[in-house]
Amino acid sequence: MSNILEIKNLSLKIGIQDILHDISVTVPEQGIVSVLGANGVGKTSLMRCISGIYHATGGEILLQGEDISKLKSHEIVERGIMQAPEGRQIFSNMTVLENLVIGAGPLGRQELDHVLALFPRLEERLKQQAGSMSGGEQQMLCIGRALMRKPKVLLLDEPSLGLAPRLVGFICELVSKIRAEGYAVLLVEQNVKAALRISDTASVIEHGKIVIEGDASALANDPRVAEAYLGGHVHETA
Amino acid sequence: MLDPYILQQLAIGLSLGMIYALMAIGFTLIFGVLNVVNFAHGEVYTIGAFAGLMAISAFGPPLLVVLFIALAAGALAGFGLERLAFRPFRRFSDEASLKSRAMREATLMSSLAMSIIAREAMEMIFGSQFQTVDLAYLINKPIHIGPITIVNGDLIILGVTLVMLGGLQWLLKKSPIGLSIRAVSNNALGAKYCGINTDRTIIITFVIGSAMGALAGILVGLYYGAIFPSMGFTPGIKAFVAMVMGGLSSVPGAVISAIILGLSESLSTSFMPSVWSDMVAYAFLLLTLIFFPQGLFGARRERV
Ligand SMILES: Nc1ncnc2c1ncn2[C@@H]1O[C@H](COP(=O)(O)OP(=O)(O)OP(=O)(O)O)[C@@H](O)[C@H]1O
Ligand SMILES: [Mg+2]
Repeated sequence: MSNILEIKNLSLKIGIQDILHDISVTVPEQGIVSVLGANGVGKTSLMRCISGIYHATGGEILLQGEDISKLKSHEIVERGIMQAPEGRQIFSNMTVLENLVIGAGPLGRQELDHVLALFPRLEERLKQQAGSMSGGEQQMLCIGRALMRKPKVLLLDEPSLGLAPRLVGFICELVSKIRAEGYAVLLVEQNVKAALRISDTASVIEHGKIVIEGDASALANDPRVAEAYLGGHVHETA
Repeated sequence: MLDPYILQQLAIGLSLGMIYALMAIGFTLIFGVLNVVNFAHGEVYTIGAFAGLMAISAFGPPLLVVLFIALAAGALAGFGLERLAFRPFRRFSDEASLKSRAMREATLMSSLAMSIIAREAMEMIFGSQFQTVDLAYLINKPIHIGPITIVNGDLIILGVTLVMLGGLQWLLKKSPIGLSIRAVSNNALGAKYCGINTDRTIIITFVIGSAMGALAGILVGLYYGAIFPSMGFTPGIKAFVAMVMGGLSSVPGAVISAIILGLSESLSTSFMPSVWSDMVAYAFLLLTLIFFPQGLFGARRERV
């Protein structure tokens, strides 16, 4: 299977700070790849580099072979990468429908029915101000907005942050469902257990460097991962 | 029955308010997308008036064409202004620097500098005195309605402003570019994640806002027959007050506040000397800042 997104030896400096160092991550077509790590190790910075919010100081980001690391954020979206970013970044004083339509860009309402089928909760609230919805609903809107453009690669930065355990399960199911529809997903998660359950491969970042990588099932049984992120004991893999 | 004098003042006040509204929209839209105050907005107004004047003296086109030329000159001025005084300070695109305080302070100075340069340049070219405007173009022909007398300019200003406000409302609510402007105002970083070209959206916002400001300039120039390089200063301040009263980035708020301001100024002349009417705006500004720091219409309004 060919790779849709390849991040090669990426590094990022902001001022004198080394944020990312020699990061390489590969996302195959229809793959789910997760990036794990504690707070402040550079996961969001990596996602921002891919979306063109930050510009990497070294290395390249190949989308189907084309280097997109120097492109602007809107050019990257046009090439087919959408992100549900950290902090959600929804348009809080616009309606849910307007949020979705903005996410769709030139596609308009084409994908609306599809997204509403994934998130029936949003359908009841199309005319509501996005900022007045609950945190979980805003997270759904954030992911739904990213899907409106039918991206080739979907980036999810901590989609389960602040959600009830039941909703974490919902998000996991959703990610698997999205993959089955043909999307590739790059996932950043703190909920390591859930992330490893649905991913094909995973990388663990510490201080801006990848320290462990491999098949998700192997990582789930890796004592180093277990100790640092799973509360010290190896858990069963699903 | 209202005193005819009061009615007459109300008519004048409405025209004044509409002019302030046209000006305030530019301030408000630009504040929305960048969180900055454009101190060169008053000069854009003056540029509109001079562009119209030059067209009149060059080839005497119909009034409607004069208005379009002012609009176009304003659009061009807005485009240049953004490129020269705002764009250079927007080098990073993350949330921390997009609407940052550092950028606000830098562009405050750069737009002030541009306004001084533009005003001085116009004084060098045209001199600082009033320009003579071809009398045929003045929109001060009296119209008698019962006991009161208004001028045709009152009707023209009302008509033109309503068309512009209606057009703007349609643009912001229904068109893709309007949706982009509102998206950038609401959450600039979110707009980037949605594939909106924020730089282009900001330029378009300057173009629209400046075109409206320039239109206000030529309308006032022809209403009073007074076109001079520093004419933008006072209306600039009034529009700024209307923006603050309206809650900084609410277009409907700014328009309503501008009309309230115009009416109040005009009525104030019935009980105090007219040279003092400028005080009304300053009083409103102070009262708003003290009692309604979120603007008269509160913080929950729909912005832009
Ligand atoms: N614009 C910036 N300026 C300065 N430092 C930054 C900037 N962006 C990120 N950093 C720094 O880079 C490091 C990594 O931040 P990042 O947001 O990528 O972490 P993260 O892995 O996503 O953490 P979390 O799990 O808490 O979301 C942090 O130390 C942060 O302070
Ligand atoms: Mg993060």
